[in-house]
Amino acid sequence: MSTISPAPGVSRRSIVLIGVAVAAVAVIGLVAALITGNNDKSVATAATVEMGTVAVTGAALADLPETGTDPAIGKKAPAIVGQTFDGSVQRITPGSGPMVVLFVAHWCPHCQREVPRITDWVKAGLANGVALQAVATGTDAKLPNYPPSSWLEGEGWTIPTLADDGETSAAAAYGLTSFPYFVALDSSGKVTARTSGELTEDQFTKLLATTKS
Amino acid sequence: MTIDTVTLFFALLAVALQVAVALTAMACIVPSARRVIVGTLGPVALGLAAAVAIGAMAGSLYLSEVAKFTPCKLCWYQRIAMYPSAILLVIAAFRGDGTVRRHVVPLVSIGAIVSSYHVLLERFPTLESGTCDPTNPCSLIWFQKFGYVTIPVIALTAFVVIVGLLGIHRVGSDLTHQPKAGYP
Repeated sequence: MSTISPAPGVSRRSIVLIGVAVAAVAVIGLVAALITGNNDKSVATAATVEMGTVAVTGAALADLPETGTDPAIGKKAPAIVGQTFDGSVQRITPGSGPMVVLFVAHWCPHCQREVPRITDWVKAGLANGVALQAVATGTDAKLPNYPPSSWLEGEGWTIPTLADDGETSAAAAYGLTSFPYFVALDSSGKVTARTSGELTEDQFTKLLATTKS
Repeated sequence: MTIDTVTLFFALLAVALQVAVALTAMACIVPSARRVIVGTLGPVALGLAAAVAIGAMAGSLYLSEVAKFTPCKLCWYQRIAMYPSAILLVIAAFRGDGTVRRHVVPLVSIGAIVSSYHVLLERFPTLESGTCDPTNPCSLIWFQKFGYVTIPVIALTAFVVIVGLLGIHRVGSDLTHQPKAGYP
């Protein structure tokens, strides 16, 4: 059976140690205050629209199921009218040709890894006749890597991008359940494939090909 | 005080503790230095461990309740390990009860394992899944300082420091209670 033993006597050296520890914490606090006090926080310019206004026309697609047959395949995707980051009108119009709509969130680590790859694939001409449209959704100023406009600009993103609203109306209309999210549409505006997660070049190429099948 | 100031403060504290752990571990290789460390830290190790645990608990509550950083599933597991440890260590520090390590060391060791996995997940998000849960993925990095200090890195530091302090307390107690030469 164990017994509780009294703490050994605290020496002068131990008291000095505690004093040094307390002083170190205070100095660290002061340093943190001084450093952040001198920092200029980069913020989006006043003219930038990080969350726009969104109008959805047409029936929303069912949520992407985790497994099994996707009920949205063959269904006409809804049209979306919204704004780009600079405030100009952005339209996602299914039926205007083969199209892939990408949904990304600024704080999502998988999106942060996928966006540079897609940028490279677009530069390499992988899209080849398939229109690419993006939606920056799930935007939240208190989450990391905000604002999305700066993030995408920094990545050299050239795909026309619609800023989703605070209720993520565009994402909901396309049945998003996780990020990054891709919806492939054929020339009549019907869904040919949906998927989420990081894609390889081969998977992305196959997704693009479904729009022309 | 801004959230950025407080998160930088937490990160600096974590780095200072990491440096202290590294220096202490290196010094412990030398027997004479080990005696000095055990003799100095041993008597106050329980109190320091309690202070680290309370600091970690208060920090996590600040991040969730003030900074509004929503804790993910793994964050909650680490909280489950840290919060009871903090209470147990405070009581033990007041009572001078070194036997608390029997309860706290398993708790904080589990916490350290979860923190380590959380750090890995931040570096390699595909370990969890290939997608981000729109609500609150564990791979989300709320802030990162000095290129590597994130919330789970700070938590891991606190867990390791508590284990180390409890170890030093134990060694110190053993030395104190060793029979002196000449005793039967």
